Amino acid sequence: MIEVRKLRKIYPGGVEAVSGIDFDVEPGEVFGLLGPNGAGKSTTIGMLTTTVAPTSGTAKVAGFDVAKHPLPARRASSVVFQEAVVDRSLTGRRNLEIHARLWGVDERESKARIDELAATLDLAELVDRPVGSYSGGERRRLEIARALVSGPRVLFLDEPTVGLDPLIRAELLDAIAGLRGRTEMTVLVTTHYLDEAERLCDRVAIIHSGRIVALDTPAALLSELGPEILELRVTGSAHAAADALRARGIAGDEAFAVGSTLTIPLRDTSSGEAIATVTDLGIATAISTRQPTLDDVYLRLTGDRLAAAA
Amino acid sequence: MSAATATATLPALRRARAFSSLGTLTGRRFQLTARTPRELFVPLLTPIMFALVIAPALKSALHTNASYESFVAIGTVGLLIPLNTMFSGLGVIVDRENGAQRELLAAPIPRSLLVLGNLVVAFAITGLQVAVLIAVATVRGINFDPTATGVLWFVAAAGLFAIGMYGIAEILASRVPRQEEYIARVPAIAILPWFLAGALFPITALPTGLTWVAKFLPLTHGLALMRYGLLGDSTGLHNIWGGMGSTASAALSLAVLAGFALILTAGSIRVFTRAALR
Repeated sequence: MIEVRKLRKIYPGGVEAVSGIDFDVEPGEVFGLLGPNGAGKSTTIGMLTTTVAPTSGTAKVAGFDVAKHPLPARRASSVVFQEAVVDRSLTGRRNLEIHARLWGVDERESKARIDELAATLDLAELVDRPVGSYSGGERRRLEIARALVSGPRVLFLDEPTVGLDPLIRAELLDAIAGLRGRTEMTVLVTTHYLDEAERLCDRVAIIHSGRIVALDTPAALLSELGPEILELRVTGSAHAAADALRARGIAGDEAFAVGSTLTIPLRDTSSGEAIATVTDLGIATAISTRQPTLDDVYLRLTGDRLAAAA
Repeated sequence: MSAATATATLPALRRARAFSSLGTLTGRRFQLTARTPRELFVPLLTPIMFALVIAPALKSALHTNASYESFVAIGTVGLLIPLNTMFSGLGVIVDRENGAQRELLAAPIPRSLLVLGNLVVAFAITGLQVAVLIAVATVRGINFDPTATGVLWFVAAAGLFAIGMYGIAEILASRVPRQEEYIARVPAIAILPWFLAGALFPITALPTGLTWVAKFLPLTHGLALMRYGLLGDSTGLHNIWGGMGSTASAALSLAVLAGFALILTAGSIRVFTRAALR
């Protein structure tokens, strides 16, 4: 449903936001683009929705090349943007109607869909109020309803929960997860929240500095780290501590540091043995073990940048 | 359906879709622009003040005859159109910064329709305001001498000038990043030419160099043509084109305005599309 081949974007001024990425998204799949701010996620969505011109490479949405056939590609898709992109002085219903009309949904059909989506996304009480009076979460739900009103085959969600408080974020994630059960839509979601990607996505591509550095199912990405993680808050240099643990056969090449926190995937070593070794070396003020999360995968792949930032 | 019929109906379907989308965009822009009557009529205050208060005061102070009020009434149309169209351009910046422009750019419609939708509304609101201005001036006792042909000249001149001015507004809005910068440039574009274009006095009253500058201003052609149409006064046209016949002069000025409207509209679509696509 989405095919991306060697897609590249260099903005005027020479900033390379996306550096020749490749990926495919299957029909009905929820695919996550995961990465830190500035990784190139929004630029990728911009190119797929034809609001950013690719420098080179190709991308197809629903079989249509976005550069050669932008109108059918746009007709097959909808997008929820990272920032608020609504007419605040118009009512929620009017915002939905405008989308429906521009995407060619006939009037009667659009009315039925608006009522249904307003009920599904808990907007029925709000939909006839000006959008300027909505809270952040309500406006986000409206934008999702708007994207769905044209019945898109492909839905792009660009950081859909960014800037929302935890409760509203949880509600919105429920709403997005609920879309899976009711449609055959293909969804491409960008996020830098790992739990979101883990919860929503069938597969995840981790994007860093414009390049895809990992692409697999969340389970497969997690399995790369083994069954257990040892996490230490080290007293001195994290790199020196990693070297010391490497010499004792506890740490491997997959160990990574973010600030003073050293994270070590445990593959062939038991947690008891690892903790005893750390205690013996006296290099940590805090020690814990836990199961790996997608955060660990992400930090391992993008750790150098985060370490520098820290 | 045969293949030939399908081929024939495809452009018709596309046209129907384009008109439907243009209608939706126009409706949206109208709702955003003129939510209350106040938003429609407040921009009229300055030009009406000119036509009804300042022109009679000038007439009295300068001891001219009543036709000066008519002269200035048409002159104020030349202020109303640029002011109104330039302020309509602000909507483009609001759309981009705080509105739904990115959603519209992702819609399956040619992006030229976004510009045309804005233009239709700016044109309609400006037309309404010009009509109100002329009506109020008439009620105040200012004399016009309209014939059916004359009204057509007036409408064509005012309409083409408004279209061209909206093109300038759209180009400026697409190139200027912030509202403050846009507003700072409005006086130079909307008001400065008004002083040179024969709104308050014939362009021949200007120093020779400025008279030549005035002849190249679209507003000079617009005002001369509007006065020719509504007052039957071809002096302005002769001031531009010399001893040529009135109708020929009017046709030439209309051609200037048509070129102005066409070039600026095409330019505004191009600039908007390029600026919107990052």
